[in-house]
Amino acid sequence: MRSLREYEKIVGTAVLNQLEQLAGNLTGLKVVHVNSTKSGGGVAEILAWMIPFMQELGIETAWEVIKGDGTFFNVTKTFHNGLQGQPVNLLPSQIKAYEQTSAENAERLRPILEAADMVFVHDPQPAFLLRLCPNRQGTWIWRCHIDASHPSRSVWKYLRPLLEGYDASIFSMAEFSKSLPHPQFLIAPSIDPLSEKNIELKQREKNEIRNRFSLDPKRPILTQISRYDRFKDPLGVIEGYRLIRKFTPVQLVLAGGGADDDPEGAEVLRQVEEAAAGDPDIHVLSLPADAHLTINALQRLSDIIIQKSTREGFGLTVTEGLWKGKPVIGGDVGGIRLQVINYHTGFLVNSPEGMSQRVRYLLNHQNMMQIMGIKGREFVRENFLLTRHLREYLTLMVGLRRGFTDRLIAAA
Amino acid sequence: MTRNRENNRSRRSKVEVTPFQIMDCALIVRITDQLPALNLREFRERVADCPFDSIYHHFCETVIRPSFDDPEFHNDFARWARRALHDHVLAERLEIINPYEFADLEELRKVVLDILDDRLSEIHFIPWALHNRQFFFHSATTVIFDTSLTIDSPEHLCTAISQMTTGSLYYHFWEARRRTPEHTDDFTEWLRGWDGEGARMIKALSKIDFYYMSLRELQRTLVELSDKICGNGARP
Repeated sequence: MRSLREYEKIVGTAVLNQLEQLAGNLTGLKVVHVNSTKSGGGVAEILAWMIPFMQELGIETAWEVIKGDGTFFNVTKTFHNGLQGQPVNLLPSQIKAYEQTSAENAERLRPILEAADMVFVHDPQPAFLLRLCPNRQGTWIWRCHIDASHPSRSVWKYLRPLLEGYDASIFSMAEFSKSLPHPQFLIAPSIDPLSEKNIELKQREKNEIRNRFSLDPKRPILTQISRYDRFKDPLGVIEGYRLIRKFTPVQLVLAGGGADDDPEGAEVLRQVEEAAAGDPDIHVLSLPADAHLTINALQRLSDIIIQKSTREGFGLTVTEGLWKGKPVIGGDVGGIRLQVINYHTGFLVNSPEGMSQRVRYLLNHQNMMQIMGIKGREFVRENFLLTRHLREYLTLMVGLRRGFTDRLIAAA
Repeated sequence: MTRNRENNRSRRSKVEVTPFQIMDCALIVRITDQLPALNLREFRERVADCPFDSIYHHFCETVIRPSFDDPEFHNDFARWARRALHDHVLAERLEIINPYEFADLEELRKVVLDILDDRLSEIHFIPWALHNRQFFFHSATTVIFDTSLTIDSPEHLCTAISQMTTGSLYYHFWEARRRTPEHTDDFTEWLRGWDGEGARMIKALSKIDFYYMSLRELQRTLVELSDKICGNGARP
């Protein structure tokens, strides 16, 4: 287990002192985070470092995961898709299954949730727990990690009354927020620079991955790392790659794994494999949830990182790519817009054609790729490392505890 | 940040100067109750009655929140006019506003409204943003805390500034203008108590065009200046 002090070389002493000073205002607080999976996906990755670091800072923090069967996660995937704008029809039987499983989870979690001073509920999967904890003492905050700006009507009609009961909510971007009768805060997520996914690698380790997947060291590599999810548009990436191949012999890596709470991944992966069939330069990789070092090496071996999503919460794979000094070509949606700045850290695109045009431009302007890489890394260092993320959570918690005004004087 | 009396080249004035207390701050950004604006007319209406905190945030706090330091636009209003409405003229007029020129935020609001009204009277159609490019009005809560660190004399400014967080820099250089009597930075206020290098440093600080700098650029500039003017060769 890492200590926060290990980040000193990356962010500086003062930044860590700042966290300790803020946390000093939260002594004695009992905090619980609830989500739907221990591994797979950005939320689990964030909680995996956030919980121990909050504990290290002296805040009593617990992480609880709701349990459910395939039916339950099919319903929550419907919520997820619906919130991100896919037309879905929520059936009464699905609602019943969702509420039933939530009730089973509440039986197990009620004592700790009702006793907590602050409960952070991540995404819609565990959202119903609020209704099942009538004797709750603390402040309940709904943390939305996805782009809920244009939700499906049936899903929002069901979820909205549930979410209205929360005391506050957090979104990654204002554009994702909804009209809700409580304060809404903005906190962008972050990456852990010392995690297996982001730590510096030796050349030997990168070569091992290159050989394992038979990647040609002489030709450019384009990589999209993401779950096999329609919103990540892996088929659009293949289409863009085919347009590039008319001019440049690039290689494409599509790599991702499943998450426990995503039952659709297998079907999307099958479609991607079908689209890539017969082309030895498209590498479709289905990786286990813990293949962090492999993903790290693939990103570092790449010339350009692609994240051509059509909907995106924040896009931590973009942050990871920028941190590794790579230009990123990303879909002009969601949190990718916060990170990919045209001509500075990469390019935003809206179609396979746009992707192919920008890749060809960059491959012909290697100098610009290098400058973008340097800018991207510094941009992430200042804004999207876990220390900033932690600082904002602590600031929010100080505000929730003390009451919000434009200026709050905290204890030293 | 301890004081080296032997190397202290700045002379104190008659009044005993208390050490500079290094403060730090952190922001949490909040979405206001104001409806988002989808076109220029709506934007004008919202600016007219949005809270002062929101105007302050979109002009002065852009530098501290986690976002790309846009080299072109330094306030959110100008950026939105350019990137979402594609109105280059309006963007340039809004960008040139220096929010620190005004005595209070109501005056700043009036200037912004004047520019918006002028533009609305000049154009023959209302520019619209795409639905996913609406302008959301934000405000922020600043949590301020004492780092327990002090600067005893101008000689130690250079080292102290080089070790500050962006939160400290923001608090002492930007946010200070909101609370100091002469709307200046905290270093200037403190250096008034010092003769010699202190006075020269005040003059140099007044010439910094900080509004067009990121906090890291400002830090580099302050380190260079303080080393040049007050330094004792101890530059980090």
